[in-house]
Amino acid sequence: MSALSYLLVPFTHPMLIVFVAIGCFAGIYIGAIPGLSATMAVSLLVSFTYGWETNSAIALMIGIFIGAVYGGSRSAILLNIPGAPAAVATALDGYPLAQKGEAGRAMGVATTQSVVGTLLGVVVLAVGAPAVSQLALKFASVDYLLLGLMGMMMVGSLNCKSIFRGLMAAAIGVLLGTVGMDSMTAIPRFTFGNTYLNAGIDYVVAMIGLFGVSEALIQITEKDVMAVKQKVDKIIPSFDTIIKYLPLTIRSSIVGVIVGALPGAGGDIAALLCYDQAKRTVKNPEVPFGQGAVEGIVAPESANNAAIGGAFIPMLTLGIPGDAVTAVMLGALTIHGLQPGPNLMKTSPDLFYLIVSCLFIGSICLVIFGLTGVKIFAKIVEIPRGILLPLIIILSVVGSYAINKNLYDIFWMMAFGVLGYFLKRYEYPVAPCVLGIILTNLLENNYRRGISLNDTVPGLVASIFTSPISIILFVAIVVMFVTQTQAYKNWSAKREAARSAK
Amino acid sequence: MKMKKVLAGLMAAAMTATLAMAPATVSASDYPTDNVNGIVQWGEGGGTDSLMRPLSTLAQEKLGKSIIIQNKTGGTGSIATQYVYDQEADGYNLLMGAENPELYKVLGISELTYDNFDCVFLIGDETTGVVVGKDSKYTSLTEIVEAAKAGEKVTLATTGTGGLPWEVAALLTSITGAEFKQVQYDSDASAKTAVLGGECDFTICKIQSGIEEYKSGDLKWLCLLALESVEEMADVPLITAEYPDFEQYLPWGPFYGVFVKEGTDPAVEEVLSAAFTEAFQDPSYQEVLTNFHINPMGVSGEEAKTYLTDWQTNMVDALTNAGAIQ
Repeated sequence: MSALSYLLVPFTHPMLIVFVAIGCFAGIYIGAIPGLSATMAVSLLVSFTYGWETNSAIALMIGIFIGAVYGGSRSAILLNIPGAPAAVATALDGYPLAQKGEAGRAMGVATTQSVVGTLLGVVVLAVGAPAVSQLALKFASVDYLLLGLMGMMMVGSLNCKSIFRGLMAAAIGVLLGTVGMDSMTAIPRFTFGNTYLNAGIDYVVAMIGLFGVSEALIQITEKDVMAVKQKVDKIIPSFDTIIKYLPLTIRSSIVGVIVGALPGAGGDIAALLCYDQAKRTVKNPEVPFGQGAVEGIVAPESANNAAIGGAFIPMLTLGIPGDAVTAVMLGALTIHGLQPGPNLMKTSPDLFYLIVSCLFIGSICLVIFGLTGVKIFAKIVEIPRGILLPLIIILSVVGSYAINKNLYDIFWMMAFGVLGYFLKRYEYPVAPCVLGIILTNLLENNYRRGISLNDTVPGLVASIFTSPISIILFVAIVVMFVTQTQAYKNWSAKREAARSAK
Repeated sequence: MKMKKVLAGLMAAAMTATLAMAPATVSASDYPTDNVNGIVQWGEGGGTDSLMRPLSTLAQEKLGKSIIIQNKTGGTGSIATQYVYDQEADGYNLLMGAENPELYKVLGISELTYDNFDCVFLIGDETTGVVVGKDSKYTSLTEIVEAAKAGEKVTLATTGTGGLPWEVAALLTSITGAEFKQVQYDSDASAKTAVLGGECDFTICKIQSGIEEYKSGDLKWLCLLALESVEEMADVPLITAEYPDFEQYLPWGPFYGVFVKEGTDPAVEEVLSAAFTEAFQDPSYQEVLTNFHINPMGVSGEEAKTYLTDWQTNMVDALTNAGAIQ
């Protein structure tokens, strides 16, 4: 019964609810600005909340976390600039929807899906944290490698003129991802003696340039296109709609929780994987993916919010933070006398249930703050381009500077904007480029680790068949690959034809 | 035409905003006028990270500005070291590191060592030990060493050449002749995870990172690399019981400190030292240190420099004798 009483703590201390709400509200706007992240907001809060008692500080941080993860979808939908890497996939269908005058609907779907995703994540955290953490511990280097490869398969799911173009863009991304000092031997690669490049290319800087500035440049060069009038009469998706997408939501949320719980992967990779899965498995979407499919928002948005609950799992069960935000929280808890580690749930069950209930309250706040104001936000798309485009550039400059307060980041962001402009002009998609930069580290380090564990490449491949997790991931990749080949498509078309002939 | 004016106006505003944000040159007396970046060499949840975060939380109270912690991992911490060195020596980028940079030069990892930085605060050092997973077949260090000598593949989860497990392995090799298969992870937290999950056979763990797993039984501690045992882990034997020769390297352990690039204004360094010293003395941080079993030092300036030089000389000598470096 004590679990219940701990869960109800925030309801007897209404200030905690207020803190979650404030955090959530602020988080949405912080998350919507590219470059400003939940990590940064929470880091700044540590000094602000130091004198507070632990519970209030945790409540505020959790509010910000939920708000900021969701907020990334706002700018992705409205401006085609993902507020955070986890919202890259949301932009792929969210922005086309906004271009059709359905930004309100897109934001409505993003909100409800984020809420459902967060809730599912919380449920898993509450009932299955120890089990999920055991699963996460079993993830070996080769499994991370396979996960990275699955992420890479997404290139095939993007709508572009040809797979070749997608691969080209991804290759550019991978190449950019290898720039900087080698993470194992510290040997500088492709830095040409430039000290800025030693630390590697910041993928948020690249993302802001490739998406934000390039979009502004493209629109500047297209004359006389009027802003799209937005329909804002039906923003809250009907209950039937939520039910209709529920299987996809649940599937994406489960992937989100598990990937979020892995210490070596997070919400960004979860969102990309789920977008890819949705594109492959949803038969006959109302609108094709990439042109404004609602499923293309449902999958990544539920996954990246479900990853929040996931990120708390290793933090609370192993004492190892699942991402940078939980790392800040763990630091804040340490100063309040808590000892992070596998005993935390036993020694401080009150903390565990407080986090669960704050996450729950946070998702309720998300409904309220996410759905109010959508009408005003949708107007952003209607702003005349002469005003909107410079604003996008300003936002990109501020965002890229804010990451490290480094002036060079602005120049690099601009350079990426020009690169993105030419990519888009010649009909190469920019998303695989960002995907490549994000995944290179995961792929490379785990490949090298796998090789040093198994001595040889055949040994690495053989090791896949020694663990159930690796086998499942491997089979999934094979299925994904086979279903993409022309031979399978022909066979499947023939089968469909035969079936309809009967 | 009107549009153009609006556009020009906004562009101008953007440029002014950019300029306003540029770090203005300020005199040391006002330091800090802006938030300070704390660049942690190792990953989230690792030993360095878990000591630096609470200390910074307290120190920023004294500084009056926030310390934003960022983990820049890789290259045994040399990526973070290089990053801080590449920034202005203005005290706005702090290197929060462990012992590793002292070995970069001799190992050929980087040209930089702590000689290129000024130590504004040294927290302390700590004891380490050899750990295996709870289902491991090994019950003592001798068994691991014998298995390795017999040609079995014994995997050691390391944090890279010059990282703590590598250092200990080098010393062990010199005494026992056993060579281990080293697999590199990006922090001691992920190396520990690899042992917990069974991917690697053993690793070298700091007491702070492994004491909770000791209590819960998730990790088996085979021995402590110390001359005296730790009260809460009384049943863990000392390495000298199995390998008396190891005594020549003891007492030995990794240390943690906060550094700024050489050439930073001494007045700025003083502000930082004072803030960190005050934070260190705070009862809540002392409690963290006790919980984490850190041997506190709390020194800066010349005292810190002497400690660092001694540590470096001893370790380089030990590694040279061990044949790990020429």
